[in-house]
Amino acid sequence: MPERPASARRRPAAPTAQTADSTASSAAAPDSAQYASLDDVSSAQYASLDDPRVMLDRDIGADLFEPIPPFPTTTERESEFYSLRDGEMFLNLGPHHPATHGVLRLVMKLSGEQIVDVDPVLGYLHRGVEKICENSDYYHVIDQVDPLEYLSSLFQEWAAVLPFEKLMDVQVPRRAEYIRVLTGELLRISSHTLFQGFLALDLGGLAPILYSFIERDEIVEMLASLTGARMLFNYYRIGGVNGDLNHEFMSRLGDWMSRALKQTEANATLLNGNEIFARRTRGVGVLDRDTALRYGVTGGNLRASGVPFDVRRAHPYSIYPELEFNIPTREEGDSLARYLIRLDEIRESIRIIDQCLHNMPDGPIMAKLPRLLRPRPGRAWAAVESPRGMLGTYAISDGSDQPFRFRIHDPSLLNLEVASTLLPGNLLADTMAIVSSLDPVMGGIDK
Amino acid sequence: MRPALFSFLKGLPRGAWDRTTLWDRLLVLVIVLLVGGAVTTIPALIFGGPPALDFAGANLPFFRFLAAATGILVLTIPTAFVIIYLELKVIARMNLRVGPNRVGPWGAAMSVIHGLKVLTKEDFAPTGADVGVFTMAPVITFLASVMTLLVIPFAPGIFGQDLNLGLLYFFAMGGLTVLGLLLAGWSSFNKYSILGGLRSAAQIISYEIPLTLSVVGIILLTGTMSLNHIVGAQSGSALDWFAFKQPLALVIFFIAATAEANRTPFDMTEADSEIVAGFATEYSGMRFGFFFFAEYVNVFIVSALAATLFFGGWTAPFNWPWAMNLNAFNPYSLGFFGWAGVILVGGFLGAQLMAVLIRLVGGRDWNWWGAMTLGSLVVAVLAIGALGLAAFIAFDWVRGLTWFMAKTYFFVFVFIWMRATLPRVRVDQLMGFAWKWLLPAALLNLFVTATVIVLVNR
Amino acid sequence: MDRSLKTRLDARLGALLREPVYQRNDETEIRVDPGNVPEVLTILHDAVDLRFEILADLAGVDTGEVMQVVYHLWSPKSSDWLRVIADGLSREDPRAPSATFLWTGAEWLEREAYDMFGIIFEGNRDLRRIFMPADYTSFPLRKDFLLPDDAARSPGAGVRHVERSQAPATVADDPSAGIRRAPVS
Repeated sequence: MPERPASARRRPAAPTAQTADSTASSAAAPDSAQYASLDDVSSAQYASLDDPRVMLDRDIGADLFEPIPPFPTTTERESEFYSLRDGEMFLNLGPHHPATHGVLRLVMKLSGEQIVDVDPVLGYLHRGVEKICENSDYYHVIDQVDPLEYLSSLFQEWAAVLPFEKLMDVQVPRRAEYIRVLTGELLRISSHTLFQGFLALDLGGLAPILYSFIERDEIVEMLASLTGARMLFNYYRIGGVNGDLNHEFMSRLGDWMSRALKQTEANATLLNGNEIFARRTRGVGVLDRDTALRYGVTGGNLRASGVPFDVRRAHPYSIYPELEFNIPTREEGDSLARYLIRLDEIRESIRIIDQCLHNMPDGPIMAKLPRLLRPRPGRAWAAVESPRGMLGTYAISDGSDQPFRFRIHDPSLLNLEVASTLLPGNLLADTMAIVSSLDPVMGGIDK
Repeated sequence: MRPALFSFLKGLPRGAWDRTTLWDRLLVLVIVLLVGGAVTTIPALIFGGPPALDFAGANLPFFRFLAAATGILVLTIPTAFVIIYLELKVIARMNLRVGPNRVGPWGAAMSVIHGLKVLTKEDFAPTGADVGVFTMAPVITFLASVMTLLVIPFAPGIFGQDLNLGLLYFFAMGGLTVLGLLLAGWSSFNKYSILGGLRSAAQIISYEIPLTLSVVGIILLTGTMSLNHIVGAQSGSALDWFAFKQPLALVIFFIAATAEANRTPFDMTEADSEIVAGFATEYSGMRFGFFFFAEYVNVFIVSALAATLFFGGWTAPFNWPWAMNLNAFNPYSLGFFGWAGVILVGGFLGAQLMAVLIRLVGGRDWNWWGAMTLGSLVVAVLAIGALGLAAFIAFDWVRGLTWFMAKTYFFVFVFIWMRATLPRVRVDQLMGFAWKWLLPAALLNLFVTATVIVLVNR
Repeated sequence: MDRSLKTRLDARLGALLREPVYQRNDETEIRVDPGNVPEVLTILHDAVDLRFEILADLAGVDTGEVMQVVYHLWSPKSSDWLRVIADGLSREDPRAPSATFLWTGAEWLEREAYDMFGIIFEGNRDLRRIFMPADYTSFPLRKDFLLPDDAARSPGAGVRHVERSQAPATVADDPSAGIRRAPVS
């Protein structure tokens, strides 16, 4: 289909003479005049594609099929990206796509099959969690923060609960800490197993995703018998956890632990020895150490590039100082390294769960706190190591029962940002290998 | 229902048609068809019948060809249905799932439902698409696949045409699919489609060369391109099969055929995690149905060709040890009433016997009706099995067809197996593999075969 | 609580700090003027005894009176998190220097702060909205953001929804529609 020359790009319209009764507050906004009928719609100029008056394709004409926004570019980088050279074209890996990890829109500038530049467009899943948290009380914050990285929601809860515990100067009982670590590591294993499956699915293998879901189902059923929910657990509380370990959970956990390591190895053999998979991921999307540090990448992606930074060791929280586990690190930094490192992390997590089970203390699972939670006015930051990286939260309290500002720093945002450096130069087919190996979850990115 | 019928007979008052039900309308349709059909057919038969038969007798090969072409067109649909169902079930089992199991016994009617689904979808073309080309592209792809079946020998005596350029015709027709895919990609007015179409064109064209070169060894060995003669050259026992004489050619052929059929691991063209559905992104309804069928027919034909060229086609792997004629038993001797009696009495007695056995084995859980129903079913299955066995023993075309289908479906299973387990090869790795590895290997095979033939003949 | 960090920070940054270094639990907090942010961050990143190389977070804060940009950093040389608060941005025209010269990843974090608060980061090559649509006119996380006003300003204002075809389309048409207040009892 023909590429529109840059000069034909639409500009946002100056308000037309039709603004007979524009509303008072539309000084900078497009005119909101009423149209007598739908036919009048076609003759007006539109300010943006998101304008809901733009409803019918045939009223607009073929030149608006270009998925690139027609309003003028505002920033330096935008104008650099949205100007096409000879032989280049835009391809929109749109929010509706079978393999972007959620609603991610990647506007790619291609020269044939080779990617020249990429501009990720976010915000399709923006839910205003931070603003809602400012109007919620502290229990509701835990609810709100669950669906951010929905595949590993306990870590969001953990990160949400830690700064408030600092602000309330509350000491979490040891048994609660052990339970938190136990459930967190279980969920980490589940998330990493799913990562394997999704990576294979994006590369075309249909089988591993189903094996991953079998694993995940076992873990999630376990957690359901403990917390009551399969995915958005709402389990951690400020000062502890909500509900002690029960018999069903322990028996399921025992069953699962007896096969966990063997099952992990079996699942690993699905892909590790596969030549096609190795050729698709080895040497693809190499993230070197300096780029990773400059972009603020954390988690498995950073460790696969050679930097042994893990929040559990760098700035230990909870009972991690007492546990014995290694931080797997790899040097290559390509997609295969990012895949293999998560397999290593699963093994380490199984070790941690083992230790937790052996050393589980008795005692209360919740600290004594008043029902109406009013932390001291102040600021607190805390970070946990979620399966995707360092998940940090910054809470500002003004002494009332609602947080004044609740900032969530999600690791997937910076993990995805580095994709805009890794993708150019590779083929379109590598997009999936690279983006999947970075393991972004759009819920967390868009908040 | 009745008042509506009467009002129709009274002479169509206003709104009568709206008050008819579905059954009424079907009845009207049936009546119209019967009457109209009778009115046109009977005089045509009376007056035009004998001259038509004379004409047919004079041009028998032409009518044979027409029958063969019709037969192929008609039979591809059930074949595609079977393969689609197989794929769904086999991939499901390999993924530790169940697959379709609701519609029909063990979900066997799933393909029919899929077919009905694509038929009932809305027929639209995207804005900006070239509608004529958009519609013709799936037709071209489908027909290109289907036409190749004309030369494949299914059984001794069951083949479309015995062209002495059979193999060449096969590859020529198979190459027409490129045209269809390119047209589909171009006419969809969609960048994903163009990318998919170009990828598929590049892939199919690159893999055609190793594909055709790999079978030249067989052509050298047999001296003919006629598939019937190639199968005939492998008759005897399994050791005569070309799989043992041309193993490298078999491997190359199989890999190149996977790429030709756009199957995993070479299904870049429809890589549904990158370019949504490639060239078929904008297709829906029956147009997509044609692409869908074309893909599975493609799988069938390359499996059939692999079976024909390398595994003996319809020949059996070993000779039957005993003489195969049942002339002693003449089925006509019983006559119509004899056979009716055998079927009814024997079937009934057999069902009773089965029922008794079921009651003995199953215990008191089975009441007589259930036992007799199951018994009748078992007897029916056994009778069909016996009939099939008799046909297998008596008729050589039944034997040939069975062996041919067994081999072909084994390869179909291998294709499905590969789809369930292997990830996708990247497009540049795909092309590199074809040009840098398969093509030299095919040439090597060719040279070695030619050398061996010359040396042996000396 | 890393006391040595306080001494190191005072030694390196003494004049640039607005207030004394504040430490509590495992966090150390410093406040700087927005104009000094590049210098401070460079010193924190490069100084041999500080080496805060990992940017953990870059957030905007609206305290109601002023706006702030809050950086969180981590160093292998200290057991504390470091919080750098660039304090004193005005609420009418909040401007701060960009940290993208040091960490390229800050580009998106600053885009988010701009999107949510309206803080202009000078030096960010790509300061456009990241979550909200490109033609959105409000800054949602500000304390003076009110949802009905925002809805009235949006391009969707004045459109009659399909489900409520008889209802008035804008607040101006129907004085009784608009902001709903719960009955007080």
